[in-house]
Amino acid sequence: MPWMPARRGERLTFATLLGLVVLLAVVPIARLAQEALAPHGKLDVGVLDDVVHSPAVWHAAGNTLTVSLGGAALAILLGAAFALLVSLTDIRAKKPLVFCFMMPLLIAPQVTALAWINLLGPNSTLLRALGIAPAPGSAHPLYGPGGIVLLLGLEQAPVVFLAVRAGLRALPRDLVEAAQAAGARPWRIVRTIVLPLMMPSVAAGGMLAFVGSIGNFGIPAFLGIPAGFTVLVTLIYQRLAGFGTSALSEVAALSLLLALIALCGLALNGWLARRRDVRVTAWTTATPEWTLGRLRGAVEGACWSGLFLVLALPFAALVATALVPAIGVSLTPRNFTLANFHFVLFDYAATRRAFLNSASLAATAAVMLVVMAVPLGYSLAGRRSSLRQAVGFVAELPYAVPGVVLAIAMILCLLRPLPLLGLSLYSTIWIILVAYLSRFMLLALRPVTNALRQIDPSLDEAARMSGARYARRVMTVIMPMVAPSAVAGGMLVFLMAFNELTVSALLWSSGSETVGVVLFSLEQAGDAVSAAAVAVIAVVVTLGMMLLSNGLASRVARGVLPWQP
Amino acid sequence: MAAVTLEHVGKRFGALAAVDDVSLRVEAGEFLAVLGPSGCGKSTLLRLIAGFERPDAGTISLGEQGVSGPDAFVAPEDRHVGMVFQSYALWPHMSVAGNIGYPLRVQKLAGRELARQVDAALDAVGLTGLGDRRPAELSGGQRQRVALARCLAMKARIVLLDEPLANLDVHLRARMLAEIAAFRTLSKATLVYVTHDQAEALGVADRVAVMAGGRVRQVAAPAALYRTPQDGVVSRFVGPGTVARGEVTQTYANGHAAVALFGREWQIRSAPGQGAGPVEVCIRPEDLAIVSPGNGFAASVARVLYQGGRTVVEAAPASDPGTTLSLSVRSSEPVAPGATLHLSLVDGWVIPGR
Amino acid sequence: MKRAIRTFLISMLAAVLGAAPAIAQTGGKLVLYTSQPDRDAQRTVEGFRKKHPGVDVEIFRSGTTEVMSKLMAEVAAGAPRADVLLIADALSMERLKAADQLLAYPQADVREFPPDAYDKDKTYFGTKLITTGIIVNTQAPMRPKSWTDLLKAEARGQVALPSPLYSGAAAIHMAALTQNRAIGGGYYEKLAQNGAVALRGNGAVLNAVAGGQKMYGIIVEFMALNAKAKGSPVDFVFPAEGVSIVTEPTAILRGTKNPEAAHAFVDFLLSKEGQELAVSQGYFPARRDVKPPPGFPDVATLRILPVDISELEKRDELNKKRFAELFGG
Repeated sequence: MPWMPARRGERLTFATLLGLVVLLAVVPIARLAQEALAPHGKLDVGVLDDVVHSPAVWHAAGNTLTVSLGGAALAILLGAAFALLVSLTDIRAKKPLVFCFMMPLLIAPQVTALAWINLLGPNSTLLRALGIAPAPGSAHPLYGPGGIVLLLGLEQAPVVFLAVRAGLRALPRDLVEAAQAAGARPWRIVRTIVLPLMMPSVAAGGMLAFVGSIGNFGIPAFLGIPAGFTVLVTLIYQRLAGFGTSALSEVAALSLLLALIALCGLALNGWLARRRDVRVTAWTTATPEWTLGRLRGAVEGACWSGLFLVLALPFAALVATALVPAIGVSLTPRNFTLANFHFVLFDYAATRRAFLNSASLAATAAVMLVVMAVPLGYSLAGRRSSLRQAVGFVAELPYAVPGVVLAIAMILCLLRPLPLLGLSLYSTIWIILVAYLSRFMLLALRPVTNALRQIDPSLDEAARMSGARYARRVMTVIMPMVAPSAVAGGMLVFLMAFNELTVSALLWSSGSETVGVVLFSLEQAGDAVSAAAVAVIAVVVTLGMMLLSNGLASRVARGVLPWQP
Repeated sequence: MAAVTLEHVGKRFGALAAVDDVSLRVEAGEFLAVLGPSGCGKSTLLRLIAGFERPDAGTISLGEQGVSGPDAFVAPEDRHVGMVFQSYALWPHMSVAGNIGYPLRVQKLAGRELARQVDAALDAVGLTGLGDRRPAELSGGQRQRVALARCLAMKARIVLLDEPLANLDVHLRARMLAEIAAFRTLSKATLVYVTHDQAEALGVADRVAVMAGGRVRQVAAPAALYRTPQDGVVSRFVGPGTVARGEVTQTYANGHAAVALFGREWQIRSAPGQGAGPVEVCIRPEDLAIVSPGNGFAASVARVLYQGGRTVVEAAPASDPGTTLSLSVRSSEPVAPGATLHLSLVDGWVIPGR
Repeated sequence: MKRAIRTFLISMLAAVLGAAPAIAQTGGKLVLYTSQPDRDAQRTVEGFRKKHPGVDVEIFRSGTTEVMSKLMAEVAAGAPRADVLLIADALSMERLKAADQLLAYPQADVREFPPDAYDKDKTYFGTKLITTGIIVNTQAPMRPKSWTDLLKAEARGQVALPSPLYSGAAAIHMAALTQNRAIGGGYYEKLAQNGAVALRGNGAVLNAVAGGQKMYGIIVEFMALNAKAKGSPVDFVFPAEGVSIVTEPTAILRGTKNPEAAHAFVDFLLSKEGQELAVSQGYFPARRDVKPPPGFPDVATLRILPVDISELEKRDELNKKRFAELFGG
């Protein structure tokens, strides 16, 4: 799609942004590759060779593919279906529904896994009450690839939901109405008109879900290890725990393998996205609403019970864990205690610092990435698609590799003082920010590039004809039109950065601990009840921030937040 | 000083030459229409003038300033050229006043003066009081007027229009065309108007450039195009009628030639320097008259199209059944399909040879 | 005259003695990387700083794997930052020693320590005795008294253990059990056949047993006893054949920028004061002349299963492969 020739101001901005992308995404990964291929400074493919020939590695790679594809498929199913329901039908209470649907992103994967294990284990209050608690000692139903796929799918569904919802918002109403006039029933219209047009959004969301799954550590750690089911990420942890002399280069090599798998995801995404291309002149911003009639109550009931089952119950299990004095004690009206909350809030100094740190880091990362993504996406839209694809792939890498590997890459790159500036970011909170910018860049960029693909170029051309230069066009025409997608991306960055655990576990230093670090420490020390208390507080705080943003955003712009109609 | 000058401008997309060696002058204040079928390159030509495409060959100048060329390129935002897009390109997140005032805000106008100029533009296009509406709430005709108002507010000296009536209802088009003509008078701007509809082009333009296959075939006033098309393509595209094959037997000094056609010889107009030999002849409906048998040539009626007061009759000459002649008769004197008519050529035009 | 001289000498002595602590004080910055639980790490540093207020201690605390990864990355990047380490197990220390990353401290006072509590080359020193025994859910049908009890039919599918693939302490434990004749080399094979499940670490085992998913588990004693003290429905058993120990060793890194402070830190951990601090945190002291926490058995009564650490380091890959084949992963 040809846009216009560029001018100096725009070219400079583009070069700068591209340079930032290279610094944030390419350099750490390249440094890792160097570690894999030339450990200790000398070219030595021995490690890579070992990795390629190890059957354990390919077994783990196969497992990774299996659960990630499965998780992404489940996420697409749930996320797209929910997005269709919310966008195209007249079910009530959409705002709270969407709010709740986003909740899995508010809880760190380790915590979710733990909550589910407790929920479905022999000691589960709920299952005991229903009389279907499994006998102690029986294999936990969630251990193994099935449980991993289930939890991955549930965790990534909101990501797909956001992508598809943004796409549906741009769906021209007349395309649907034309089909209605032709006599097609709603289900046929969804199947033959809406879904094909939504392919790019679905593919984008599915790809994010896939890439997020291959690098996920918490869920396979809790559900895979007990069943002897290893994926590449847990294999990497094994290598790290082994700390051989070649451990780092092995880990780097395995991460390159993960990056390769991410590339496959990107290729699939590209193939799916090429299927249909909808240009919108943005008249029909109101999407059609189908009345469900008698079905409405049933559908609403299904949604709420589904949400209750998969979200409220594990969260309730978490709260229950936080209210008992010690792990394993059953919660009864007599022995419930707020001592854990008291401890983490008042006695344990790290907690408050951690919340403040996490909130500032997450918010800063979100804002910076969105501000970067809009002009970058805009510039990319007017250039060759091969460049666009290259940038898209490069941005995927830090998201796809496991958190611990990215942290290692950051240490390798940022340990020594930066050239030219002479100061070292290591051992400050800034190294965590840089790591977050690198890791979550993709979440901000993808929605923006997808939204830009849907905008009619004449809207930009008209601005150019009116004399508006690059910066003004970006701020007054482009930014407002991609705002819903950009904000959705920013929100995603915030939520994931806030609950992030594995990256900050290696990069934090005195005073810069994050919520994830605090959770990690408590859990490792065997203090699961305090960890649960921290997790509950984190969820409440994030919910509060989402509500706050709701109040603010309704004054600023319409339809910008994902759960606004 | 011409307002827009194109010299040997060319633009290729891959193997396709969208614009092929086009040279054109648009005088200041002129209303030039660029007419041609889909894919003839007229939109590309417009985009080249606007600056959205860079020419592969040739130069483009706006007034005295060269804006596109081998060594110079002025970006669209610096050309101060107004453009009305086929989709009107109104920004959905801004109000009507916001859309109109955008170029003024770019020029750092604000406050009272900005509001005054926006209101003036709204009044000029007849949309007074609708400043606070959103584009989505307006009808097609109203949106187009907003697009015009935007160009007015901008005080653009040159305004490019890219098939602006294509998205309008047929009965609105005539009205909107009149509005565009009024806009032209009001703004005193130079207009370059791209369309595939010859009625639009011939109706309002000072001159019309006919394009086909990336080349400009002829630039002339509508009457000249209609009466003296320079080639068969122009002839077929501009106005109803037929192109028939005949032979010039003799040329005269008074701008006529003797042409053998349909088995008889006729005296019809020709260009100076027209030589003898096989030619194409442009026959407009009014060039044919129904005569009594013996005074003309026979033609068999193929189709009859009722159009209200008049009816279009399509007939094939007996001597040349492959050709379809079209003429216009009063509906009160109907002609039946299959009937034999006797026609005479009262005028015609010999299309100049290559 | 004599009195004057005496007064002068006494006042000089007083001045010297008064100044002595100031001279003996070390200063500067000390960077500590530790895998101790957060609270314990803070109290350790506080205890150290009371004795050496001039030293500014910067802590990095995370899991053993994370600490080692960070260390490895820093070494690879060419600028290791840590001065002292205090991590869970000697196996990880042995690897650091093999990679020549440790600085020996031959002057360390180890007189009160059993010889297998510290490295014979004085590169690392155990600071506690953390035993690995059996944790039992109070609702369990059987109360195991020995390691072999875990192979009984009542324990079928009911045992959780930490995986040596992810934990150096678990690797030491595996070696200790399999090298013991009373238990036998095929112990882990029989455990696997009896349906035991491998989890990622001690925390996971605690959660599993306290949470009632498994009735029995292999775990470090302080975690089980702390949970029991808080009210978890668990109990801890020191098995009859004996327990394996990890010593939570400390070491000085070769690239240390403040060897003086590093020495002082090691000295503190090995001193009676430091050991009593460990006791107050709920651990067995490594020093023989310090009493264990109340409620803990006397150290002398513990049967400790010996492990040759350097031998274990060499056979590590094989052991892990064997474990992976048995338990998957």
